[in-house]
Amino acid sequence: MNDNFLDIRIHKTYPGFMLEVDASFPAGVTAIFGPSGSGKTTILNSIAGLITPDGGDIYLHNKPLYSSSEKVNLRPEQRHVGYMFQESLLFPHYRVRENILYGFKLTPPERRKIEPDQLVGLLELGPLLERRPANLSTGERQRVALARALATSPELLLMDEPLSSLDVALRGRILRYLKDIHRELAIPMIYVSHSISEVLAIAGRALVISQGRQLAFDEPRKVLLEPYVHSLVETGGLENLLDAEIVEHSSGNSLTGARIGDILLWIPGVPPHIGTGDTISMAIRAGDIIVAVDRPERISARNILKGRVQGIHRVESNVLLYADVGMSLLVEITPEALDALGLCEGQEVYLVIKSNSIVVLD
Amino acid sequence: MLSSSEFQVIALSLQVAALGTLIGLPVALGIGWLLAKSSIRGKAVLDTLVSFPLVLPPVVTGFFLLWLMGREGPIGGILHDLFGVDVVFTWVAAALAAGLVSLPLMVRAIEVAMSGVDPRLETAARSLGAGPARTFFTVTVPLASRGIVAAAFLAFARGLGEFGATMVVAGNIPGETQTIPLLIFNRIQLGDDSSAIRLIVASLVLALVSLSVHQRLARRIAT
Repeated sequence: MNDNFLDIRIHKTYPGFMLEVDASFPAGVTAIFGPSGSGKTTILNSIAGLITPDGGDIYLHNKPLYSSSEKVNLRPEQRHVGYMFQESLLFPHYRVRENILYGFKLTPPERRKIEPDQLVGLLELGPLLERRPANLSTGERQRVALARALATSPELLLMDEPLSSLDVALRGRILRYLKDIHRELAIPMIYVSHSISEVLAIAGRALVISQGRQLAFDEPRKVLLEPYVHSLVETGGLENLLDAEIVEHSSGNSLTGARIGDILLWIPGVPPHIGTGDTISMAIRAGDIIVAVDRPERISARNILKGRVQGIHRVESNVLLYADVGMSLLVEITPEALDALGLCEGQEVYLVIKSNSIVVLD
Repeated sequence: MLSSSEFQVIALSLQVAALGTLIGLPVALGIGWLLAKSSIRGKAVLDTLVSFPLVLPPVVTGFFLLWLMGREGPIGGILHDLFGVDVVFTWVAAALAAGLVSLPLMVRAIEVAMSGVDPRLETAARSLGAGPARTFFTVTVPLASRGIVAAAFLAFARGLGEFGATMVVAGNIPGETQTIPLLIFNRIQLGDDSSAIRLIVASLVLALVSLSVHQRLARRIAT
């Protein structure tokens, strides 16, 4: 037995395009990362059985879903693979409740591991159950689509850019739901994305592909900061997407205290419906973080975190720097700043973050 | 006003057209699905075959039905030998004629309605564990339902007017297979113009009603 639950070795040719993948996926969240048209969706569709590769095999828990040598090609409904599409694709003629129960009812009782009620709770769908998809917001639709896919108790959940249709604030929220789902239900996920920020926030491993070819397959931090990856996608606006617990929250203060592990961050005031103990999502742009070699004294910024440089990557005209301050933060600085500070890996640094540059996503 | 015998003819016409539509509907659903959703080979051939009753003289369609359903025919023979049932020259034969002649219209309209159903929704159903048949009945048909009902009304309207094929396969038997068009034909031949005109007006009204239902449903699909 190996630790990998999914082994894919397939090739598929379209006019002017050839996909070749050979990868073993560990349990957990794996991101497939690449520019549009690189073959990301083709991989998902091959796993789900929506398209048939030209050859190769796909094994899920050592059982073949597709194998050209063994002449196996299970139909989509036989694969027990959940699929969350880029658009929610809810059934417009069914209510939310019926949408969620659609696949659940088709799942034999002995295979059912996830109860719809549990999903309704986790994804906070209670108030939406009697509504029609047409009367839902985009974010609500994606949550229902997620619940509908999970209600079949899939052995694997495929997600094709599930956040691409959402605005930034909702992205953070859905990402948190996804993390909750992954923690509570322990379902392996394959997450297709072309957003470095998202992949860093959720995935334990990333497969980078471009033009149908597999370029790298490793921890997101190791592969996504490589210069060639940045030439593949637009990298403007790299963000650190973080979840934090509200610990200090008083109406008299303009700032709110939020805890991530052992770190306390001062963030801008949160809406009144969020109280102490609640979890929120927030985004800190990599370019908004200041690096200092000595501890800054008498400075207006409220957050000064001490840590160490973990990695330095020159990307085009910028430098991406990874720093460990109790959690990993991605920082974007200029090459001039890098030279002036003489930064190197392992060096002790202070990260300075203005409270107002932290965006609360709820 | 219409006489009671004329009323009976109208009732029989409605009955014939309704049964014809009901018989044609599952066939049209199947062929419509094949044309709109499947990737079978020979679609063009099927497409052409289905259009035949539209372009052939109805008398030829009726002759084909007569052969098919006759005592010596492939289907009529089985029905006669096994069940002792003879369909030819009964109102059921008239319904078959109405169904077959209106089939191309119904198939076309259903094909259009089904093409309008987002195939990705069907894909989603498959990924949720539904087989092709369940996907058809829980996603494709409900989402095309308005168009399917509109198609049925169109076929019904066409069935009401069926003359040539009915004459061949069901005859023109008063009280048995004599529908409105056949009676109009008789009355014109007898020179009874006032009766013919009454029946023509009745035809117009029935056509208008069923077509307006079709239109209303079809228009709502478009918007």
